[in-house]
Amino acid sequence: MPHMWWVVAASVLVGVLAAYLIWTAGRVERLQGRAELAARALDAHLLRRAAAAAVLAERRFGVELYAAARVALDAPPQEREAAENDLTRQLRAVRLDPADPDCAAVIAASRRLALSRQVHTDLVRDARSARSRPLVRLLRMGRGREWPRYFDIDDPTLVVPADVPAG
Amino acid sequence: MRIGIVCPYSFDVPGGVQNHVMDLAEALIVLGHEVSVLAPADEDSPLPAYVVSAGRAVPLPYNGSVARIAFGPVSTARVRRWLTNGDFDVLHVHEPLTLSLSLLAVLSARGPVVATFHTAMTRSRVLAAAQGVLQIVLERITARIAVSALARKVQVEHMDGGAVEIPNGVAVAKFADAEPLPGWPGECGPGTGGTVGFLGRFTEARKGFPVLRDAFVALAATRPGLRLLVAGPGDPDDLYDQFPAALREQVTFLGLVCEADKARMLRSVHLYVAPNTGGESFGMILTEALAAGTTVVASDLDAFRRVLDGGRAGRLFPTGDAVGLREALSELLDEPAGRATLSACGDQVVANFDWPVVARRVLEVYAAAIEATDGRVIDQEWVGLG
Repeated sequence: MPHMWWVVAASVLVGVLAAYLIWTAGRVERLQGRAELAARALDAHLLRRAAAAAVLAERRFGVELYAAARVALDAPPQEREAAENDLTRQLRAVRLDPADPDCAAVIAASRRLALSRQVHTDLVRDARSARSRPLVRLLRMGRGREWPRYFDIDDPTLVVPADVPAG
Repeated sequence: MRIGIVCPYSFDVPGGVQNHVMDLAEALIVLGHEVSVLAPADEDSPLPAYVVSAGRAVPLPYNGSVARIAFGPVSTARVRRWLTNGDFDVLHVHEPLTLSLSLLAVLSARGPVVATFHTAMTRSRVLAAAQGVLQIVLERITARIAVSALARKVQVEHMDGGAVEIPNGVAVAKFADAEPLPGWPGECGPGTGGTVGFLGRFTEARKGFPVLRDAFVALAATRPGLRLLVAGPGDPDDLYDQFPAALREQVTFLGLVCEADKARMLRSVHLYVAPNTGGESFGMILTEALAAGTTVVASDLDAFRRVLDGGRAGRLFPTGDAVGLREALSELLDEPAGRATLSACGDQVVANFDWPVVARRVLEVYAAAIEATDGRVIDQEWVGLG
């Protein structure tokens, strides 16, 4: 029966295609989920830095830094990037003393924020590139989840990496 | 924290990546973490307690040299077993884009994966052709570390992603406490004596040995008792043939030295010279010489300038300029106070490269990777104190 081969070949093809689609859907889902977790972590570190800066401002450096920290803490999503950049500028404008515990907390929080921002940017890029594949768009995989957004802020690192103190 | 580290190259052969992995693992253990290192190794070779062997490595020509790696179904099974038994909080792979255990581990792992890129490979045709496959590997990596600015640049430009730059560490104490070789470095007064050191392949053009040779020959003519100490792989005849017969007695060749002897060698000279003409991605040897408390004279390459803090921690001379090098050597050998000033600044610079400091920075990257995979924000204190 020569038709038989067509049937076999067609079912193999369908099988391979199905496996590929399932794998792709899983991949999109995984990357998307990871980008969302990275965004949550980034959010937590932004709050931490702003809180540490507010604590420091209450004791030293005064009103301007405190205001910048408050604005960063309360900023609505669309104004948040600008508010965080403003806080970074304020922190760079003051002389932070690594020996002071409150200053050290701000420096450490900024360093952790820089790492978190780096990871977030990479994971968002991966997720966006997976979602913008033609097949993924055609089959609307990942619908029901928002497009992962970049969080575009300046590098918040305060001291050059080579000067990171021990501990 | 339970940390799994994968080293792609065999521990049977010494190498930069292997040393890095061992030093990092030991520093993390000292900080109170549980560390397991998976690496290819012969069944009967002696290994530190924290290393798990993934079987014998096969030599394969790779990237211009021979790499001993393990790859294939048997290795895959071992990697998976190690991952299951280890139950790690974070997986840290080195050089994940080589055909190696690192690549297998990345493909088998779930959860936070940190990858360190050592070499600054430029975009090769293989890489370009395999972009789709590469993407699948890179996607599984949560956070990337580059050991040099150059390696980071490659990440940013060719692999479409950022990386955190964390330099190679140096086991400062090992170098600072090493005993100089008997009889070295010897006398050094104004106008006479003094010992200059060089370590590396003197036959390789980019290491710049001829620049040092010319400077040494010129300086030896006016400075009696000047000595040169050379260590590295190579044939002694090839080295001595480069010098006039009258000067050969003032040149000592140690051959290939082990890590411990390298430290002793660096402590045995007044000046360590790095006359490289290009291609150094980081300048590891400079930080080691600084750790040994030896004054460094280096060519004015980007990487060297960065390590030497723009010339505060060591003398820079124009790359490839034997006359400039000769002047720098003569001046510094005549002036102990100048050497001491540079060394004091070198101590400060090298403190930033000390392994405990570097390991803490790596731990922060682990924390960032863990947060991005299950959303937990890990406390700074917890990470800092282990």
